[in-house]
Amino acid sequence: MVNRNAAEKALNLIRSRLCNPNFIFRPLCDSPDSNYSKLKFIVSSSVTEACNNSVLLLGPRGTGKVAVLELVLEDLLLEYPDMITLSGGVVFQIRLNGLLHSDDNSALKEIARQLCVEHQLVFSKMASFDDNSEFMIAMLRECGLAHKTVVFVLDEFDLFTQGKQRLLYALLDAMQSVTSQAVFIGVSCRLDADQLLEKRVKSRFSHRKLLFLPPSEEEIYRLLDHVLSLPVDSNLPHDYAMEFNAKLHSMFSDERFRQIIDSFMNFSPTVRHLVKFLFRAVSDMDLKLSNLSFENFKSAISSLQRQPKMECLRDCSILELYILVCMKRLEVKEQNSYSFSAVMKEYKSIHDSFQTSDYYSQDVCLRAFEHILQRGLVCFADGRGRIQSTEFRPVKLLISFAELSQGLKAHHLCPAILQKLAA
Amino acid sequence: MLGWFLQKRKMGKDEVPLITRRTTRSSSATAISTKNNVVESTTSTNICSPSPIDLLYGGEPIDLDVLLSNFPGRHPQIRELLQILGPLNAPMLPVFVYGGPSTGKTGILLQLFRHLNRPFVYSSCRTCYSPRILFESVLNQLSYHQKNSTNGYSSVKRCEKPSDFVNFLREALVGIVKSLKENRRKSKSSKKLERSIDGNMVYLIFDKLELVKDWDKSSTILPLLFNLDSMLNIPEVGLIFISSTPPDTFYSSMGYIEPIPLYFPTYNEDDLRQILVRNQANPKLYSSFLDVVLRPFCRITRRLDELSAVFSPLFIEYCKPLNDLAIVPNEDLKRKLFSNLQPHISLFLNETFRVLSQSSLGAERTKDGEPRGSKSKVGTCEDSDELDFHMSTSAKYLLISAFLASRNPATLDASFFDSRGGSADGRKRRRKPSEMAKGQKEAEEQELLSKGPGSFPLERLLAIFQCITSVAEDSLGEEVQEEDSLEVEGQNNPLMSDVLLQLSTLCNANFIVKGGTCPLEGSTRYRSVVSEDLALKVAKSVKFPLAKYVYRR
Repeated sequence: MVNRNAAEKALNLIRSRLCNPNFIFRPLCDSPDSNYSKLKFIVSSSVTEACNNSVLLLGPRGTGKVAVLELVLEDLLLEYPDMITLSGGVVFQIRLNGLLHSDDNSALKEIARQLCVEHQLVFSKMASFDDNSEFMIAMLRECGLAHKTVVFVLDEFDLFTQGKQRLLYALLDAMQSVTSQAVFIGVSCRLDADQLLEKRVKSRFSHRKLLFLPPSEEEIYRLLDHVLSLPVDSNLPHDYAMEFNAKLHSMFSDERFRQIIDSFMNFSPTVRHLVKFLFRAVSDMDLKLSNLSFENFKSAISSLQRQPKMECLRDCSILELYILVCMKRLEVKEQNSYSFSAVMKEYKSIHDSFQTSDYYSQDVCLRAFEHILQRGLVCFADGRGRIQSTEFRPVKLLISFAELSQGLKAHHLCPAILQKLAA
Repeated sequence: MLGWFLQKRKMGKDEVPLITRRTTRSSSATAISTKNNVVESTTSTNICSPSPIDLLYGGEPIDLDVLLSNFPGRHPQIRELLQILGPLNAPMLPVFVYGGPSTGKTGILLQLFRHLNRPFVYSSCRTCYSPRILFESVLNQLSYHQKNSTNGYSSVKRCEKPSDFVNFLREALVGIVKSLKENRRKSKSSKKLERSIDGNMVYLIFDKLELVKDWDKSSTILPLLFNLDSMLNIPEVGLIFISSTPPDTFYSSMGYIEPIPLYFPTYNEDDLRQILVRNQANPKLYSSFLDVVLRPFCRITRRLDELSAVFSPLFIEYCKPLNDLAIVPNEDLKRKLFSNLQPHISLFLNETFRVLSQSSLGAERTKDGEPRGSKSKVGTCEDSDELDFHMSTSAKYLLISAFLASRNPATLDASFFDSRGGSADGRKRRRKPSEMAKGQKEAEEQELLSKGPGSFPLERLLAIFQCITSVAEDSLGEEVQEEDSLEVEGQNNPLMSDVLLQLSTLCNANFIVKGGTCPLEGSTRYRSVVSEDLALKVAKSVKFPLAKYVYRR
């Protein structure tokens, strides 16, 4: 019982670690040439030398751009205890997200709102774009005079480059003045994000870019160890933690385990994917056994690497398979555009020549057809629709022929004649 | 199917039914009917101040065993969900639950929260059909706000923009998590009789996510929802998405960290049998009934909602020869019942749903969960020669003329409906069966198949209507001179308005579809979507020789 309690505690600990990106990326920050150090240098130079800076963090989704940034800011707040302050520390950040604030008006409004919240000012909802941008510049000047660094974080940076980029221009232009003290950080998963900038914006940007890459194998194991091993000196029973860690390390050296990690990282190489995988494996942990086993990881990989189209095909009834096969036959015949009525004709001709037992009325087939439409196995080929009824709209298959024949083979009820027809 | 959602939450003082929130589908399935009585006990309780308790599932928490037995064939999924949700206070990564319709996704999830006794916010994108309503629904629930007459059915906050939503949501969630933690501290110190909440996690459930794809702003809302986790960055919040389409249908150029997938497969035959036999008065009898019908029907569809809709009338048919419904059938009886049922099976196999005739009114079934399936042209019994619905004679003629106008090329109208009473001779003379004509014919057929019925302006429809009604009168009485038709038109002006009314009725009933306006003529064009069978049937009922007038290539 004690063991079970401890196991539950351990499980919760690991789960909360996995859900906390700051924790996960900590071990990847040590080396002097890591992105963490570079970014920290940029921001801290702005803090200590009172200058403006701008940088783009680029890299695929899930490589920890935002997490590293947060670590940097967190550490800087600790490193530079507040000397001259309006409210908090020397650094404060304004966060924008391209998904939420991609239009210039709302972005500036959000900046003004966050500035107001930070400095206990009254935020006016009615303020115009110009008011807000004037307010922002004035605030930047004030902050600069108070030697307070403002960090602008623009998540999903590429979305800010749609339209006239007035916001980017306003921000980067404000940072040309000597009085302000700000860092502009754009975060994007488009590697060509800086190419999206207009000329006037581009010329004001420092062209510093930090590229985030998926972790190397050595880093992966460091990360695994960091995340999964239990702390020995905590409220967990000492023996339990030791045993847990020992089992874990013996598993890490297991060849089969390495193979699993390898195959998963080949499939999706970023840290966040790895975290997802670990989460799935950890949540599968048997509380009675009270430690992680190889089987946990094995089942996690199968539950994460799904084949949705195959699953859809397996869910289909025989009639739905017939319709899919008919559509495939029509596509083989190189009919570039066909509708449900054409499919019905093909279905009827199949029935006429083979006398299948599965011949149903058009209404029933239409319903089956709508089912496979809902499943996303087929779709309408024209965008407009609405006016025409379902039967006459051109349709197309969304699965390849190979997938279809594979799905037919995997379907346990599939009649032999269907496989023959689909071949 | 999910009828037990009708009343879910412990309600506040004024009992505005929250029905809209949980009536995902009206219950027609007999299979799960007992679940209804589990929840009916959740009536109004004392007047309570709003607290996170409002976010719990109404009614007493249920045991895991009850939950498992309520959902046969879903044990691995329930177990997996439990693992992902984790023990008390365990943070989680977002989950994406998917699987075909009526596989128990929503039901299991909600019952699971009832079992776990943890607070959650449920919003279905079916009832919340636009971003604003979705946002406000989530915020309303989080601030324990109920729309009622005292607040003019308004939401707690007006929230249209995603940016506002995220701000408000963060505010509300932080508040709730704080109060949950305080509550726990309090409940530790003083034992209360009141129901407590387990854990300090709050879960947001977004159901029917596949519908968001059809929204105007889907390209911003979907990434927003999928990235909500990293945007909020509150570890005490769990996100759960439910969709009937697999995750790959949500891919976009935006990209996001995919949530953990959890798949609910369609029930297989054994599961279906288990589910359908549950709650039957006479399981043995029903099981022998299923022996006969389940396999053939499973070849058509394995959706539980459709099967149970088909089986309930079929079972009545099956029981007809029996006097005593509690009988346990032996082999002999089974064979007899089967031979009795057999003709009905093939009949039921070939119809999607049946519109009951006048005699058995009241028990009308419709097919749930299939928006397009309810088109009225399906609503006829194909087996009988009579029409199952009532239609006025002029509407019938209108329908026939619309059918003709859609099928026949406009250029041939004159030859069909000319003064000599539509002789087909001229047409026959023109057709010369040559090789080239044959190829052309096939091409034309293809075109008809791909294009569907043609469209026509209102004038043409009225002209044909005028012609065929006059022909019909002709055929009844003696020869009337054709010049009369002009006069008739003049006289029948009041009738014309009636015809237009009929036309709009037919449009509403989806027999005729209003198309876009023709850019040249500027008038609305119509299109008849009735099948040829139905048109022939209608023609037969008014004794109109339709076949004579249809242009055959």
